Amino acid sequence: MRNSIAIIIAILVLVISFLSFTNAPFVARSYSTVKNGLSSVFGPVLSVASKPLDAVGGVFDSYFNLVGAKKENAELKEKYERIYVENQKLVETERENVRLRKLLEFSQKKPNTMMAAGVIGEDLKNWFRCIIIDKGRKQNVREKMPVVTPRGIVGQVVEVDLWHAKVMVLNDANSSIDVNVEGKNTRGLLEGTGQNTVKLKYVIKNDDIEIGDKLVTSGKDGIYPKGIPAGIVITANKNKAGIFADIDVMPFNNFRQLDEVLLIKK
Amino acid sequence: MKTTVYIIIGILLLVLEAAISPHVSLDVLRPELGMPILLYVTFFLGASSGLIAALSIGLAEEGLSAAPNGSLLFVSICIYLIAVAMRRKFFIDSKYSFAYLSSASVIAQSFLFLALSFFARGEARGAVSILFYTLPNAIVTGFVSIILFSFIEYLNNTVLERN
Repeated sequence: MRNSIAIIIAILVLVISFLSFTNAPFVARSYSTVKNGLSSVFGPVLSVASKPLDAVGGVFDSYFNLVGAKKENAELKEKYERIYVENQKLVETERENVRLRKLLEFSQKKPNTMMAAGVIGEDLKNWFRCIIIDKGRKQNVREKMPVVTPRGIVGQVVEVDLWHAKVMVLNDANSSIDVNVEGKNTRGLLEGTGQNTVKLKYVIKNDDIEIGDKLVTSGKDGIYPKGIPAGIVITANKNKAGIFADIDVMPFNNFRQLDEVLLIKK
Repeated sequence: MKTTVYIIIGILLLVLEAAISPHVSLDVLRPELGMPILLYVTFFLGASSGLIAALSIGLAEEGLSAAPNGSLLFVSICIYLIAVAMRRKFFIDSKYSFAYLSSASVIAQSFLFLALSFFARGEARGAVSILFYTLPNAIVTGFVSIILFSFIEYLNNTVLERN
């Protein structure tokens, strides 16, 4: 009997989640409210969990390189490790310093339109390319806000909770950005592939584009401001069938090494 | 009591995975940490406890992912229903059979998500990406679930079933 009740409830939840997925008006709104409420709980937990990881991240990576040093005598090893860890901390601080200075310089160009945020997590599923940042509704973060770094575009905010927000990164399979080739009259759509490189689509074979061209946002998609660097063309195949060229682009940002990002307020 | 403990462990593992991911560049090797907990609770503690686990894990995964609303909960409840149907047919006699089950459920999860996207929204854009990661995810989850199973059994023997 208890099992039957559990199965009936499960089927009901299944129907509700399906209706929410298909955006059935009332269900989708209610589900979204419940989900946001629950997600807000994870924000502080995620922030707490990511703090110690941030601190030891660089040291942890470097520590693996020390495995060979185990053969050395215990006293020397201990001393070496202590100095090495201290040194790594200094190097990491120096790197952070440079990174933050660049971020500050970049945000000071338009001081009232930028907001800095830290990356505290990444999407649980590797099907999606999404990062989680430590700013949310409390800090006036809104959906579709563009996210950048001094190097170029990162993506856009897709979900906002009370304390944190999810940013869909440029190379997510669902991402597409309207871009121009810098200094040329060529325009196309930069679409994510789920891999490290992205595709520039709808560029006609006759258009002026070649390897090494820099792509910048066109500002015509209504989300990203004009002129933000997006990536560089790494392959341009005009010999394939059809009217469009096959173009691969390497984004300027390495999305796996983002520590801080800037949100552009509209 | 046991259900609550396992669910808390599952959710903590998910949060930890999300927090660790930006620091680890092994993108292909990402285990599904919620799935083994869901399966363990459903198989060993019954359908009612399994439902609570499926709901909690499904909602926690949605909270930590940019997946469309309802999709991960839908998939998690589907896996739960399959697990309930299989409870009497599939006997988990060791951590290895549990690992096989976890791996199979990760593969089923990917295909369920693809089917849901395709039939409900007519979308197949991320299909290549999902299929690309299905097998590595299943293999890594299989290995991780061996450790998880041993850990849960250890917890049972030392704390939860002591009295």
